[in-house]
Amino acid sequence: MSSTPRKRPAPDALVAGIVVVILIALVAAVFLSGAGSTLYPPDAVTSEAREIRGLYDIVFAFAVAIFLVVEALIVWSVLRYRRRPTDVELPVQTHGNNLVEVIWTVVPTAIVLFLFVISWNTLNNVDAVSNEPDVRVHAIAGQFAWQFEYLDESGNKVATQLAPAYDAETGVGGMAVPVGRSIQVTLDSPDVIHAFYVPRFLFKRDVVPGQTNRFEFTVDEDEAGQVFRGQCAELCGTGHRQMLFNVIALSPADYETWLAALVERSNATPAPLPSGPVLNVTAKNIAFDTTAVEVPADAPFGIAFSNDDPPGILHDVDIRDAGGTVVANQDTIDGGTSANYSYGPLAAAQYTFFCSIHANMTGTLTAK
Amino acid sequence: MATHALSPAAQAYSRGTLYDWLTTTDHKKIGIMYVINSFIFFLVGGVLALVVRTELAQPGLQYLTNEHVYNEMFTMHATLMIFVFVIPMLAGLGNYAVPLMIGAPDMAFPRINALSLWMLPLGGLLLISSFFTGGSAAAGWTSYPPLSAEGPLNSPGAGQDLWIVALVLIGTSSILGGINFLVTIFKMRAPGMTLFRMPIMVWTILVTSVLVVMATPVITSALVMLFIDRNYGGHFFDPFQGGSAVLYQNIFWFYSHPAVYVMVLPAMGVVSEVLPVFSRKPLFGYKAFIFATAGIGALGFSVWAHHMFTTGAVFLPFFSLLTFLIAVPTGVKMFNWVFTLFRGQLTFSTPLVFALGFLTMFLIGGINGAFSASVPVDFALHDTYWVVAHLHYVLFGGSVFGIFAGIYYWFPKWTGRMLNEGLGHLQFWLMFIGFNLTFFPMHMLGIQGMPRRIADYASDAGWNDWNLAATIGGFLIASSMLPFIWNVFISLRNGKVAGDDPWEGNTLEWATTSPPPPYNFDHLPEIRSERPLFDARHGHAGHAGH
Amino acid sequence: MTADSHALATTGEHTPLAGLAHDTRGGISNVVLGMLLFITSEVMFFAGLFAAYFNTRASNHPWPPDEFAHILNPFSIILVATIILISSSFTCQLAVWAIRRSDRTGFLRNIAITFVLGVVFLLLQAYDYSLLFEEGMTLGSGPFGTTYFTLTGFHGAHVFGGVIMLGVVLYRGMSGQFSSRHHDAVEAASLYWHFVDVVWILLFSILYFL
Repeated sequence: MSSTPRKRPAPDALVAGIVVVILIALVAAVFLSGAGSTLYPPDAVTSEAREIRGLYDIVFAFAVAIFLVVEALIVWSVLRYRRRPTDVELPVQTHGNNLVEVIWTVVPTAIVLFLFVISWNTLNNVDAVSNEPDVRVHAIAGQFAWQFEYLDESGNKVATQLAPAYDAETGVGGMAVPVGRSIQVTLDSPDVIHAFYVPRFLFKRDVVPGQTNRFEFTVDEDEAGQVFRGQCAELCGTGHRQMLFNVIALSPADYETWLAALVERSNATPAPLPSGPVLNVTAKNIAFDTTAVEVPADAPFGIAFSNDDPPGILHDVDIRDAGGTVVANQDTIDGGTSANYSYGPLAAAQYTFFCSIHANMTGTLTAK
Repeated sequence: MATHALSPAAQAYSRGTLYDWLTTTDHKKIGIMYVINSFIFFLVGGVLALVVRTELAQPGLQYLTNEHVYNEMFTMHATLMIFVFVIPMLAGLGNYAVPLMIGAPDMAFPRINALSLWMLPLGGLLLISSFFTGGSAAAGWTSYPPLSAEGPLNSPGAGQDLWIVALVLIGTSSILGGINFLVTIFKMRAPGMTLFRMPIMVWTILVTSVLVVMATPVITSALVMLFIDRNYGGHFFDPFQGGSAVLYQNIFWFYSHPAVYVMVLPAMGVVSEVLPVFSRKPLFGYKAFIFATAGIGALGFSVWAHHMFTTGAVFLPFFSLLTFLIAVPTGVKMFNWVFTLFRGQLTFSTPLVFALGFLTMFLIGGINGAFSASVPVDFALHDTYWVVAHLHYVLFGGSVFGIFAGIYYWFPKWTGRMLNEGLGHLQFWLMFIGFNLTFFPMHMLGIQGMPRRIADYASDAGWNDWNLAATIGGFLIASSMLPFIWNVFISLRNGKVAGDDPWEGNTLEWATTSPPPPYNFDHLPEIRSERPLFDARHGHAGHAGH
Repeated sequence: MTADSHALATTGEHTPLAGLAHDTRGGISNVVLGMLLFITSEVMFFAGLFAAYFNTRASNHPWPPDEFAHILNPFSIILVATIILISSSFTCQLAVWAIRRSDRTGFLRNIAITFVLGVVFLLLQAYDYSLLFEEGMTLGSGPFGTTYFTLTGFHGAHVFGGVIMLGVVLYRGMSGQFSSRHHDAVEAASLYWHFVDVVWILLFSILYFL
């Protein structure tokens, strides 16, 4: 390459200009269409989340400022200092500048120290746990379902919620909590690492087997009646994406009602063996002990089901038809417990019985 | 600049029979083979990414109805990209460049250099073979136990074991390479090339090699312990038998955090070579840059637990403070680069264009990483797509753009031919636009609550549009490979002859033929600064100005 | 080309570096530097294992567990093995000093003794393992068994590598490949052997005394 610079204008400037215009148009479109709200975290619903959101906004402000300044410098240099045909002499060979270099070492240090201090302060508030929380919930994350145990002041279990997700139609399921009260959650796992994550809380905490993690939150009072999505956020196997749950914010009075109903359901005498033929099915090591069963068609029947896996591993025995439609949806039961499931009459056909939590647990059920 | 006339002619030095290439100990051929092998696995890893993106384009499991296969896809995507693409690709660029840049005839241990090379395709093949032996590892590239240990819902089967063995092999290759680089750099510099006259590329390889030698053995120990747990009834990481799941994370991240600097520092070295050449100015703040690099290397050993903020088992303030502090030397480097451009005379050849891509994208990656340094914010962002955005902005926006800058910059030296500028720019724009379209929306997905490593997502969570955009971007990135591969193909056959020094470079590799003879140099210019060739070309004009 | 600065020194020099192949700029030889770096990487490997050991030990009480408390008796065959390994470091260093002053006979004798002592150490370690297996202690015997066998096992593997290295050095020495000026491999092998010894002293102290 010779020392004389190129004479023809490079197409890059044109492309760069087009890209910048498109980017600005995109950003504007996103904001104008209302999708701009996805650029921000969801509105906080707990007092801890509000603190985190405040911190996020400060970090975001610094981020945008630094981004604009540095990118502007780059864009300016690219546009202004393009080598021209007249540039034959070398530019000034600046090797450095002590003052400027000191400034851009000291100022960022000050900025990050500031960010660290405010983060640490917020952390102390967010991570605080009290000795006397208003509500104690013991969340157990197993592969691949959550269950929530409600404890009394002494830490004894009074009720167990085996349906972690809220079903809007039936109104059943989910981890209900009273608003405006401190909720302390302890986390345990009988198998692998999971994570308790509620995006609206701007918060997650790992569930580490062999270690009981603990955190606290208080839902804002004006969120009563809201249902919040939750999901496992630490890869835990094939069913990871299905480990969904909901946190339901209720007024304290509604919560008491809800809890009382859950206590009753938890302590209810188990259903008796249904009339009609009864099959015996056991689940152990994430597998049914049988893969093919037969029942008489058009007659109610039952399954005496025993979950021989360890506590924390939930199973059930649901049934779907050949087209995939679920025709029987039973409640899950915890490991180490058993249940008597009743099923309505099935028309003569081939069905699949399956565990709603473990997709590999299936078998054929023939009604004839 | 005089073109050396050597006999045989320069072009002949890059030829050779297949046997020559398979048995060579010449760092130049080995470097090229590193690059080729790494690029092949870049494509394989890229295909796996496309599989992931295709499944996630819309809610509902359309193609991978077995989530286990999905888990295999992202596990192997990351594993291949990290261990068989980025790290060895940068080692390959260094392998070619470092001896030349310091005026040495080869690396210190040429046979070990060849051994390091050949362990890589072997390791890569071991990893790929797991797809055919009952399924690959599927517990994420991080492979946390108990999920990566035995158990019906965990990782039974040979895939996880093959993964462990392959990584130990590849890690050994890396360590041997690091030792080779360090001895070469410390012991084989040409007269006059003091440490503070070495090109920044050599400095970044030096610091990277220190990290490799000191950190990689630690992950070897973690992998070995995992293997013992899986196959010999061990209890290191089994929390129900006296072990600890968090112990693995600590040992794993003690390596894997310095590993990210292994993956980015040499790319920063490339950028630090390219910017001065194409701005016709020296790198601003050369000495500060070296100290910043060393500082990042040192600090990089102290922040590993910032990957574990949500475990509840970490001394949070310490790791948060040090993580924030790493932003300072990184910022110093960013400013040094920008002020190299400032008041320069920029020629927008493809290497510079990719280097500019590095600057603009790595900046974003560094900034969004600062969010995660703030522990409470990390509670919201950890294990979500925000982290996927961050890691790709630094590793793709940073390392990959830096790698392509290096390829376009040094291809003339390797082959004696220039790559086509038009195709290079086309690749850049397709890649740049595709990259941002893929990964910028992931910031939004992350803060809106989409976790990582899920095969499918709820259709009413509000994540559909961004996921579709990301998938389109992914295919756009893939399309950018076409002009690149075509460019290499036609340039090898018919590219413009490069000559010794097509770019008016500053460093010693341009003081010999393209490609260089086996012994590298016929003679060396005087070395009195970090830009010996610039000095030779411009005499004392190079020392004008502060 | 400025050729002189690259010439190997072929005239005798009576400095501590005499015998190490080096160019006139002096300094450590490439091979020795390479070995030191390799040893650094091995130290880091053991660091990971030791970190796991300390963490595991801190979370498990009592340590050692009652059923295995008696195996950690330092005054047993393990003490004999330790003395043998430490002695072999002395003989190894004697060999290095010998070749540095061109005493080929002394060098070969001491390398051979070091080699034999290394093999004896491995045999004693294997015998100790067989005693433990008889007692029912294996890698799967709780965290104690896992950490004990992993640490001592990898140390033993490194000793085995060192023994091979010494064997190669012995073979090359017997074929007359070493002189006072050119014996990098001997220096490197002896550095590795000392490293293996130091790791054992640490291991022995930590496992048996701490």
